[in-house]
Amino acid sequence: MKKLLTLTTIGALLAAPSFADTLRIGAATAQTGGLAPYDAPVMEGIHIAIDEINAAGGIGGTTKIELIEKDVRSDAAQTSIAVQELVDTGVSALILPCDADPSLAAIGIVSSAEIPAISTCASSPTLPMIGGDYMFANFPGDNVQATVSAAWAQEQGHDTAYIIYSPDSQYTTMPLYFAEVFEKMGGTVLGQDTHSIGQQDFSAIATRIAALPEQPDVIMTSSYEPDFPSMLKALRSAGVTSQMIGSDGIDSPTTFSLGEAGEGVVFTTAGYAEEGSPLEAFNAKYKETTGKDSETVFNAVGYDLIKVIEAAVLAADGSTDPKALRDAIANLENVQGATSAITYKGTDGMPVRQVSLIRVKDAGREFLGSPSPDAALIPAPRMQ
Amino acid sequence: MDIFLQQTVNALALGGTYALLALGLAVVFSIMGLINFAHGELMTIAGYVLMYCGIAGVSFVVAVPLALMASVIAAVLMERIAFRPVRNGSGATMLVTSFAVAMILQVLFQNLISTRSQPVLLPAMLSDSVHIAGMVIGVNKLAAIVATIVMLVFLDWFMKHQKTGIAMRAAAEDFAVARLMGIRANTVIAGAFALSGLLAGVAAVLWVSQRASVDPLMGFMPVLKAFIAAILGGLGSLRGAVAGGFLLGFIEIYLSAFLPPEMQEFREPIGLGIVVLVLLFRPNGLIPSATLKAEKV
Repeated sequence: MKKLLTLTTIGALLAAPSFADTLRIGAATAQTGGLAPYDAPVMEGIHIAIDEINAAGGIGGTTKIELIEKDVRSDAAQTSIAVQELVDTGVSALILPCDADPSLAAIGIVSSAEIPAISTCASSPTLPMIGGDYMFANFPGDNVQATVSAAWAQEQGHDTAYIIYSPDSQYTTMPLYFAEVFEKMGGTVLGQDTHSIGQQDFSAIATRIAALPEQPDVIMTSSYEPDFPSMLKALRSAGVTSQMIGSDGIDSPTTFSLGEAGEGVVFTTAGYAEEGSPLEAFNAKYKETTGKDSETVFNAVGYDLIKVIEAAVLAADGSTDPKALRDAIANLENVQGATSAITYKGTDGMPVRQVSLIRVKDAGREFLGSPSPDAALIPAPRMQ
Repeated sequence: MDIFLQQTVNALALGGTYALLALGLAVVFSIMGLINFAHGELMTIAGYVLMYCGIAGVSFVVAVPLALMASVIAAVLMERIAFRPVRNGSGATMLVTSFAVAMILQVLFQNLISTRSQPVLLPAMLSDSVHIAGMVIGVNKLAAIVATIVMLVFLDWFMKHQKTGIAMRAAAEDFAVARLMGIRANTVIAGAFALSGLLAGVAAVLWVSQRASVDPLMGFMPVLKAFIAAILGGLGSLRGAVAGGFLLGFIEIYLSAFLPPEMQEFREPIGLGIVVLVLLFRPNGLIPSATLKAEKV
């Protein structure tokens, strides 16, 4: 195996001393199953970016991108099989699914093949920590998002909070980060509840919160569809009127079609299409290529991912050698993507990216800002 | 006390939905010995009909019957296309067939509609709540309770006074003898599927009215709950399915409501532990079917 790799690497190096003519990227992402709602839109964005770069002659005008795709069916074992197959075809960079768990299933293969791997949209800060030098994320970390929303809640004069989280996945434990920051900033957390992903019925939790002697100012959760709408509707119909704070998982059309119950919900996400922003330009391009409106920021996040790889190839003087690419990615600063400027330098692989705060207003988006969180407040990644 | 009553209403609403789901499985199982794991996909189909009706601006009052009709038709088609050819196969064959049907439908939804969940526009009224005797009850909870009662009354009448219903009960008891009496197997089985489609449709409307979205995989969780409820009540027994559904709803809500906070994380294992405990004392379920006795060795 290793021999083959060395051979292919040497082969690639011999064939292209400076700018190679193709950069082979392997994508092992979930096109079916539970992660498909996130990975499928990311792949759309990836295709748009690759087509755009290739139409302009390739990276630096010379290196065309070749994408090899495999469906991992949202399954961890299948992810590691697909990644092995991609490594065998001699890819220079890998794209992994939108969740830390299947991405980590491939980590043994990724590290021994020494090929940089970027998860499409996993946001758990533990991913690159466990994943090692070759694992990169492509989304604002959970702890950063929680810091932004906790700081916003404090700014609004909210002093008490209640959190609802699910221990089922790393992502859905974001409220624990929120509670940590919220208390550090002087707020009080009145209580917490847990649920399981896909629980459907939140009436018991809603009744309990409604019966609290003191109603919390804010309720924070990082649950997403279908749990979030059920939870919100259960809370509202039980008479709970607290400010709801969510996270990027609810950046979805459903959140904006909940009518009265959805109004006023605030959530953090990867970007907002302000007038004249790169995201607005991307959305226009998306509509032009696909003929439909972009439903989610995950389209743009896919575009960002290819922009990062493009910047890394340029920074490595056109090299497509995986090791050179890894070092280049780890030192990237302020790469302009569709959603934000992206920096990997000085991080362990969890990029510094902008976090936007959005409020649901009249079934649309109201932009509350993209505050830079205070680095001292950001909680350390918590191993589960 | 207030909280206890309030949580009991919550449990009734959830248990009612589970009861409808479990009944859908039980109706088919009692006649064919098939646990139809594609039952959840019937719900998904009804959900998508609600979604498209919302997009097309069709009123919810019209959308609901359309959704019910779609899931009835889908259930009958499912029987005709997938299950009739394997009707005489072993239980395992039919079970695997039902998994295959479920998966094929899921992939079709993902490829033909969308991998992402799609919002369903619901009347604002469903998110409201009413005050009854000092309790706040959500309109969708009330709708769930009323729908369950109506469906149970309807089913009772259908099974007791309708020819097809009586034939279905006869077939459940002894299919061979029922056929000798001139009951057509195809009619009875298609009828059972149509009925299970109707039950799935009603459950889907209740389910979707809570979550406000449909996604290709949404059928899995409800069918799993229905399966647990049906086993708990006694597989193949309709009254058992209702009892099992309600008991499961009560177990889930009461645990969620009254378990101390530090134990909440173990709510599901504790809940399933209770189910196992019940089965230890009543191995054939709460109200076992008279004809389907598990063999004890």
